[in-house]
Amino acid sequence: MHSAGRPDSGGYRSAKRVLPLCLLLLGTLTVWSHAAGIRSMRKSVVKIYVTQQREDYALPWQSGSPRNGTGSGFVIEKKRILTNAHVVSNARFIQLQKDSNPRRYLARVAFIGHDCDLAILAPEDPAFFEDTTPIQFDDRLPRLNDEVTVLGYPMGGDRISLTKGVVSRVDYGVYSHSGLDQHLVLQTDAAINPGNSGGPVLMEGKVVGQAFQGLSRGENIGYAIPMPVIQHFLGDIADGKYHNYPELGAAVLDTRNTALRRHLNLPSESGGVVVYYVDPFGSAHGHLRDKDVLLAIDRHGIGEDGNIDLDGNTVNYAELIERKQWGDSVEFKVWRDGKEIAVTVPLKNPRDPFIYRNIYDERPRYVLSAGLLFSPLNREVLRTVGGVSDPNAHQLFYYSQYAKTDELYEGRDEFIVLTRHFPHPVNTYAASFRNGIVQKINGKTIRGLADVKRAFDKPQNGYHVIQFAGMEDTLVLDAAAARAATPEIHATYGVSAAEYLGETQ
Amino acid sequence: MKICRLPIALLTMFVLARPAAGEAPAPKDCLLEVIVTHQAYDAYTPWQKRRPGTRVGYGVVVREGQVITTEDVVRNHTLVELRRAATGEKIPATVEMLDNQVNLALLRISDPRAAADLKPLALAENDITRKTKVTILQFDETREIQRGEAEVVQINVADLPNAPYSSLTFNLLTDLNVKRQGAAVVHDDRLCGIMMGYSRGERIGYMLPYSVLRRFIDDVATPPYEGVPTAGFRWKALVDPAKRAYLGLEQDGMGVQVLSCVPETGAAEVLEPNDVVIEWAGHAIDNLGFYDDAEYGRMSLSHLVRGRGTPGKHVPVKVMRNGRPLDLKLRLANLSDRASLIPENVAGRRAEYLVEGGLILREVCGHYLRARGGDWKSKTDIRITNIYLTRRDRPEKPGDRIVVLAGVLPDDINIGCQGMRDQIVEAVNGQPVRNMDDVFRIKDADGFVERVKLRTIGVEMVLGRETLSDANERLAELYRLPSLRYQVPVERP
Repeated sequence: MHSAGRPDSGGYRSAKRVLPLCLLLLGTLTVWSHAAGIRSMRKSVVKIYVTQQREDYALPWQSGSPRNGTGSGFVIEKKRILTNAHVVSNARFIQLQKDSNPRRYLARVAFIGHDCDLAILAPEDPAFFEDTTPIQFDDRLPRLNDEVTVLGYPMGGDRISLTKGVVSRVDYGVYSHSGLDQHLVLQTDAAINPGNSGGPVLMEGKVVGQAFQGLSRGENIGYAIPMPVIQHFLGDIADGKYHNYPELGAAVLDTRNTALRRHLNLPSESGGVVVYYVDPFGSAHGHLRDKDVLLAIDRHGIGEDGNIDLDGNTVNYAELIERKQWGDSVEFKVWRDGKEIAVTVPLKNPRDPFIYRNIYDERPRYVLSAGLLFSPLNREVLRTVGGVSDPNAHQLFYYSQYAKTDELYEGRDEFIVLTRHFPHPVNTYAASFRNGIVQKINGKTIRGLADVKRAFDKPQNGYHVIQFAGMEDTLVLDAAAARAATPEIHATYGVSAAEYLGETQ
Repeated sequence: MKICRLPIALLTMFVLARPAAGEAPAPKDCLLEVIVTHQAYDAYTPWQKRRPGTRVGYGVVVREGQVITTEDVVRNHTLVELRRAATGEKIPATVEMLDNQVNLALLRISDPRAAADLKPLALAENDITRKTKVTILQFDETREIQRGEAEVVQINVADLPNAPYSSLTFNLLTDLNVKRQGAAVVHDDRLCGIMMGYSRGERIGYMLPYSVLRRFIDDVATPPYEGVPTAGFRWKALVDPAKRAYLGLEQDGMGVQVLSCVPETGAAEVLEPNDVVIEWAGHAIDNLGFYDDAEYGRMSLSHLVRGRGTPGKHVPVKVMRNGRPLDLKLRLANLSDRASLIPENVAGRRAEYLVEGGLILREVCGHYLRARGGDWKSKTDIRITNIYLTRRDRPEKPGDRIVVLAGVLPDDINIGCQGMRDQIVEAVNGQPVRNMDDVFRIKDADGFVERVKLRTIGVEMVLGRETLSDANERLAELYRLPSLRYQVPVERP
């Protein structure tokens, strides 16, 4: 594995002071050889034409309008094309085009990692690769002020574009495609614009990253996925399946407070961070517990501030877990109940219905009954809510943020929301219940979407009675009238299917 | 209700005060400008006050030496002064009583000699109805009396402009740009009410009527002050035919649905959720919650409770429960805001707090939340917002409130806690806390607060006991805290 440490800026400063001429000479040579390299790799940087179709969570029996877009990608070893997941998410039709070649090649998504915004495309025609050369990786993490070149097909023209800049920051950041996951990012002032996504970021002719997102309100701020994340993705799919990053699922506090250290009976000079929350859906569940002090990870001592020394760099201990794959284990030295013990945490990525990432490539699950649309709480549902002042929206935001910490998830497989109603005389008084989280229908506790369907089959004394979390009022429907109205509601609103419970239901 | 804050007036016509008719006082002898210097406590640093400001409204002499105005005008007052029309002298006054549940305040002129030639304006009788023509009195820019004609166009129960309560309100259609709260409204030389807002776009002024004023004045005159009553339940219109049938009611029948009852209230003693209130004090309640008021016509049930009821009295109530009629006696009482899980603290009274090792502990109240601005709901931790919006007035046990670590004054002693804000405190020194009284009790018993347990954080925040005293001194000096705690010795109304 490669170093993922932060750049040693002190070393950089001394080199710059002592060797200015050298740098200039090297720089000139680099530009010359770089130009030759660019020429040779132009055919390996491809333009991706995509037709995407987002799901319509308001009318989940139908899809949204197809939209065309373009992105970039590049050829890597093993006859694969690397691009961003967001370029080919929800794709219905994908074509590849090489520079100065009018032909478009059909392609399909071979692997996609939404948590790291990376995807591998496979052209249908193997002849696609005939005049291409895989672009080589440089697994080093660039340092501040290293010059980088971005290739791709951004807006403003059809042919390949080249922009230059320097690495302006190496940090952890949120990957906006998932909206939740944080990994290492490279920030550069090289222009990165829509269409650049998926294109290579090169340093001395080798890939050090992949352009993937920008900052709309900033100036000259573009972001690239660095090699440690790309290599993690490629390592993950080596067995033919992408498993996502494993999650430790333990939240920690630093132990710089001496009173806290004494309270925990921690030996002085031991360092360590103290666990204050263990996610019931994380890998650490059942292995770590509150008040455990993590003293070392894989034999790297953890400092009071949570940092470890890794390959000569000071990085947060979580960096070591970032490097692990699903199925690996992590060894902790733990201070528990006044004793030092060893704890092995097998890393996994269990299904967690109570974490709310953006959703792609999945059909919306729903049940439409009596014109009431029930959907599992997810990020798309939250997106339909304007703000916390919308009726009942505070419940949705609360449940989405505190599902696990406040144990709201107990007894649930997912939260079911009345997302909207399609007005008909039978349900015309349901408007005030919109965005309500369903607790019970007809006396049956609703654990998941399938329960909604089952509960509606058993009205109570001729009525459907729906109770919502945190709401004092209940929604009552006349069951016979609701049943009779269903065909009319479906016909009126163009409902093609009353439910989609998912493939696993 | 949209309320204008009434900025500087446009140039207006001079209208000379007309001579007094009969015994009625001239407007210049009963309408006064109320000049209030106000200063509220800071919501985030409750040991200090915000910058003082000045607020001007009007008041009307209603009894000898007594002036009525709105509570909004005198809120957080530090100095109250009165000024007569066309004069410059300020007359000191004190606040005798204020009640933010009705938005009224009664002022007393401090020097009886200054009040000698002021004359009380009698309150109107029950002869003001829709379409009654009235006159609004205020000062013009030269501070002469200015009049504007108006007509009562609506009588209803409306929200108060700056408090989460409602009141009987008369809407007046008028072209007069009503500049400030407290402006007098007269009819036949009697006081119909005082203004509490004006919407220029709609040309509608909002008036607290004579009946609300009379009740308040009489209540103050006969201590102890009782205030307006509350029954203590939430209700909802009951129009939905499916819901009515489910509850065993006639389709075209009467009644509103009881949703929930506030603990420790008269409603909680006799009502149950899903009861349907069909009659209140002998008045039939329709399925939208209206009744036929002898004085005002179709009015909301809430006026029948708050406007017609008396604290401490029982009122006959007929409900449908499980499809059967039931006669009940429901006790009315003035609801103390302090009984809520999250009190509103509309008046912004000084918050109790404890600063220990830089940790600021206090209770959440509406004033604290609203200090974040109009969009406080999105600026506040959603857990607290959710509690406020779903069950703020329903503590599980009487006295329960939300104690929070409101913030941290950074210091060496609290490294690791810095940056924390709005975290709900569950225990202090290992003992559960339900309110600030518990926090003070533990602090007084132990002499210190060294451990604070926050909700869903499995590790206590720990302060070094041996360095706590020094740290408190250091923090008090560094952050200039006059006191590390404030505790209300006796509960205030």
